[in-house]
Amino acid sequence: MAIRVNPKLIDELETYGAADVQNCYHCGNCSATCPFSKEPFVIPRRSMRNLQMGLEEKLKGTFEPWLCYYCGECSQQCPRGAEPGETMMSLRRWLTSRYDLTGISRLFYRSWKAELAALILVSLVTMVAFLVMGFSLGHGSLGVYAGAGALFPDHLVHILDLALAGLLAAVLLTNAIRMWWLTTGRNRNLHISLWSYVKNVFLLPYHFLFQARYSQCEKKLPWLTHLAIFLSWVTMEVLVILLLERFHSPETVWAAHVFGYLATIGLLGGTIYAMVGRVRKRETHYKHTHPTDWMFLILIAGAAFTGIVQHASYRWLGLDSVANIAYLIHMMFVVPLLAVQIPFSKLSHLAYRPLAMYLATVHTDALASQQAGAAQTEPVRLAA
Amino acid sequence: MARVGVFIGQFHSDSRIAFDSLASYAANLRAVEKVRLLGLRPKVDVKSLAEEIRRERLDRIVLAGDSPGYFKPAFTRALELAGGDPSEVRLASFREHGAGSVEVTDRAKAVLACAVHGVPYPLVAVPKPTVVHPATLVVGGGVAGIQTALEIADAGKQVYLVERTGTIGGHMAMFDKTFPTLDCAACILTPKMVAVHDHEMIELLTNSEVISVSGNPGAFKVKVRKRARRVDSSSCVACNACTEICPIWVWSEFDSQLTHRKAIYIPFPQAVPNAYLVDPEACAWVQSGGTRCGVCVKKCPKECINLGEQDQTVEIEVGNIVLTTGYDMLDAAKVERYGYGKYPNVLTSLEFERMTNASGPTGGKIVTKTKQKNRRLKVEEWVADPKGPPPRSVAIIHCVGSRDTNYNPYCSRVCCMYSLKFAHLVREKLPGAACYEFYIDMRAFGKGYEEFMERIKAEGAHVVRGRTAQVIEADGALVVKGEDIVQDRLVQYPVDLVILAVGLVPATGTAELAKLLGVPRDPDGFFSELNYNGDPTYTERGGIYVAGMCQGPKDIPDTVAQASAVAAGVLRSISTGGMGNLDSLTLSDIEERAAKMQVSER
Repeated sequence: MAIRVNPKLIDELETYGAADVQNCYHCGNCSATCPFSKEPFVIPRRSMRNLQMGLEEKLKGTFEPWLCYYCGECSQQCPRGAEPGETMMSLRRWLTSRYDLTGISRLFYRSWKAELAALILVSLVTMVAFLVMGFSLGHGSLGVYAGAGALFPDHLVHILDLALAGLLAAVLLTNAIRMWWLTTGRNRNLHISLWSYVKNVFLLPYHFLFQARYSQCEKKLPWLTHLAIFLSWVTMEVLVILLLERFHSPETVWAAHVFGYLATIGLLGGTIYAMVGRVRKRETHYKHTHPTDWMFLILIAGAAFTGIVQHASYRWLGLDSVANIAYLIHMMFVVPLLAVQIPFSKLSHLAYRPLAMYLATVHTDALASQQAGAAQTEPVRLAA
Repeated sequence: MARVGVFIGQFHSDSRIAFDSLASYAANLRAVEKVRLLGLRPKVDVKSLAEEIRRERLDRIVLAGDSPGYFKPAFTRALELAGGDPSEVRLASFREHGAGSVEVTDRAKAVLACAVHGVPYPLVAVPKPTVVHPATLVVGGGVAGIQTALEIADAGKQVYLVERTGTIGGHMAMFDKTFPTLDCAACILTPKMVAVHDHEMIELLTNSEVISVSGNPGAFKVKVRKRARRVDSSSCVACNACTEICPIWVWSEFDSQLTHRKAIYIPFPQAVPNAYLVDPEACAWVQSGGTRCGVCVKKCPKECINLGEQDQTVEIEVGNIVLTTGYDMLDAAKVERYGYGKYPNVLTSLEFERMTNASGPTGGKIVTKTKQKNRRLKVEEWVADPKGPPPRSVAIIHCVGSRDTNYNPYCSRVCCMYSLKFAHLVREKLPGAACYEFYIDMRAFGKGYEEFMERIKAEGAHVVRGRTAQVIEADGALVVKGEDIVQDRLVQYPVDLVILAVGLVPATGTAELAKLLGVPRDPDGFFSELNYNGDPTYTERGGIYVAGMCQGPKDIPDTVAQASAVAAGVLRSISTGGMGNLDSLTLSDIEERAAKMQVSER
C-alpha cells in the first residue's frame, strides 16, 4: 500500500496548539523519561517522528496520544525545547476532530470564537426553552421553586435530561466506534480474539471512574485534582438524574445533601485550583492553555456557583423566586457544557481515554500472542 | 587660491549636528568666500544658484550636511552654468564619516576642512603608525599558549607567559592519548613545555594572574600578581623529600579528585617548572600563621623552602596580548539525572582521562571506585584504587550538557571523538568488557575522524543511537535507561561504570578578564573573534588576540593551528607598527595635513 504523506500536517497541527515540533532532533530523551512509555507503545517520540514526516494516516490510527497524561517530564527535559508534552495534547485535540464526522469539533478547536458562539447560542436556546416551559407549559409562577405549581416542574426537566443524555450517548458512541475502526478495526495485520475483548472489558469502567493510569505519574496532585472534578461531576449527574424530585422535596434528604455538598466542594475547589495554575503557569502542564480549556473551567465553576446560590436561597433563605432565577442561569451553564463540550470538544475525552486504555491492553495481548516468544514486550535488558 | 563657497544643508529632521558652529568655523577658513545655511530639506533653484556663484566668483563649491549627496547634481549643473569646473563640487558628508552628532563636532569640522581643501577626508585622516613594544604577553599556559609563545620567541621576540596554576601544560597534560591517531599526548606536549622553560626569550610566570591592564595597543602596561610559590623553583631539584614528610592530604586537582596529594606537591612528575609548590589553603604552617608544623623546611636538603614568602606584583610592558585561557568542564552535577556526585562510579570524561593515563592515580588501570577509610579525616571515601575491581561493562554518554537548551546550546566539538577514544581504550585494556556509546549525532568531522569511528565500531564497541534519559542504581549496578531510536525501542543497560562526555564552558575568570581588557564575549561566554571567517585570531580590541578553546571549543590540531596563526599577527604588528587610533587625531593635525596635501596635489 502506498503511503501518503501530508507535508502540511505540522502546519495543520499548529492550529490545534502545537508549537516547535520541528525542533525535535530525535535523541529519545522524552520516551526514555516518560513514566508511561512501555513497549510496544513508545511515547511521545514516535508521534513526533510521524508528525515531522507527515504520516497522517498512521497518526490517525494511533491511540498513543491518549496514553499520555501530560505530567510534563518530557517537555522539561527536552534539550531542544520541542515541547513533546504539548504536542501530545494538540494531537489529542486533532484526533478528537478526526473521530467526529460532523466537522464541528475541527471548527471549534481551530476557532475559539466559533465555540464561544455555539456555547452562547445553546445557552440562549436553553433560556428560551426553560422560560417557555415554565410559563406556558407548567403554568408555574416565579414564586414557587418546588412541589406542585413549581416554575420548572421536575418531571418536565427530567424529560429534557434524558433526551440530552440519549443524544450525547449516541454521538459519543458513533465517535468511539470510529476511533475503534481507525486504530484497530481497519488494521488487517492485527488479529484480536473475541475473548481478549471480553476479558478486558472491565478496564472501561475502571479507567473511566478512577483514571488509574494518571495516578502513575510522578506527581500525584494533577491526578487528584482531575479525580476530584471528575468524581464530583459524576456524583452530581447521578443525583440530578436519579434524585431530582428528592432534591426539590420540602423535607431534607440527608444522604443526597451530603453527597451534593461534597461534590460541590470538589467541583469548585478543583476548578479554582486549575484556574490558578493556568494563570500562574508554574507547572509544565499548565504552561500552554487552549481557549477550550478556559471555557471548560468557566462553565464548570459557573455551574457550581449558581448551584450553590440556588440551594442557599431555597433552603436557607426561603427566597423561591431568587432560587428559580439561579436555577435558570445554572441550566444556562450546564446545558452548553454538556451539549457542546461533550460531543465536540474537550470533554469528549471521557469516552476516548478509557477506550484507549482498553484498546492498548487488547493490542498488547494480540501482539504478544502473535509474536509469542520472538519479541519481548518488556524493555530490552542486555546482560553485562 | 581657489575661491570656495560652502553650502550647509540639513537633510534629516532628526539630525543632531551643530550646524551654526560649523558655519562660523567654515567662514573663518582661509579660502572660503561665502557660507550659506540652506536649512532643512531645501528647494534648490539651479538658475538663481548659478547667478549667485557667478556673482561671488566661486570656483569650488563645498556641499556640507548630514547626507548632501542628493543635491550634488543640482549644484554641479549650477556650477557648469556659471562656467566653472563641474568636478569642483565637493561633498562634506558628516554621517558617512562618523560625525553625525554634536559630541563629535570636531570631527565634523575636520571633514569640512578637508572638503574645502579639496582632498578626501579618508585620505587625510590616517593615523600615524605607532611604535609597538616588541614584547608579548601570553595569558594561559595550555597547549595554545605554549605554541604561541614558542612561535613568537623563536622569531626572536620577548614573550611573557602567565599561567594561573603551578605548571604549564593545561588540560592536554592530563590526557593519555590524542584522537584520532592515538598518539601519546605527553610525548607531543612535554618537549614543548621544556622548550618553553629553556627558551631565553620566554619568561615564564607560573602561579600568577593578570590583575590590571592599562595603556594602548602597542604599549600595554600589565600588572601580574605572582602568588607565593614558597619554594625557590631555581634551586629545587624535585627530590620529593618535602612531600614525603608533609602530613596534610587534600584532593588532587590534576588527578580530577580521583586521589590525594600533599599540601606541598608537584602537580605531576613532568611539570614545568619542575619544582614543588605549597598550597596555602591546605598548609598547616601557613594556616596557623607559622606556629605549627613546618617539617618540610627542616627536611629540604637544598634549603629552598620559604613558607613565609609573600605574593608579589610585577609590572611588565608589552605591545600585544594573546589570550589562550582555555576552558573548564561544565559541572556534571548540574545534569542531575545522570547521578554524578551521587553514584561514585559515574565519572566525568576528565576523571576517566586521568584514570586511563599511565601516569595517573591507577597507573592506567581502568577500575571501579572502592570505598576506603580516610584515617586522617575519619570518613569513608570512594577512591580509584589500582587494586579495585575492573568494570565488566562501561557506558559512555555523549552530549552531557551540550546541545541542550537547558544547559549549553552549543556543541562542544571534541566529545564525540574523545568518547570514541575512550571506547578504544576500554576495549584495549579490558577486552572482556562491554562498551556502549550513547550518542545523538556522531560528529566525526575532521581529518581521519570518520575512519577512526569505523575502526572503533569494528573493535566491538556497541554504538547506540539515542540519548540516555537517566542513570539509576538497581541491584547494586548502575542502569542506563534510554531509547534506541534506530531499533525504535526502549533500552536499559546494567553497567559498572558510566562516563559522561561533559560539555565545555569558558575557563573560570574569562568574564573578569574580558572586562579587564575590554574584549567582547559571545553569548556562550567565549571571547569573540573579530571576524569568524576572515580574522579568527583578532579581537575588536586592537593589540589583543585569541587562540584555542577560549575563542570556542576546538580540538588539539585546530588549537595548535590557531596558536601558530596568532603568532603571525603579533609578529606583523611588531615589525610594521600597529594601526593607531582614529580618535587620537586632533583637528589641527588634520587641517595642517589637508593644507599640505592640497599643495602637493597641485
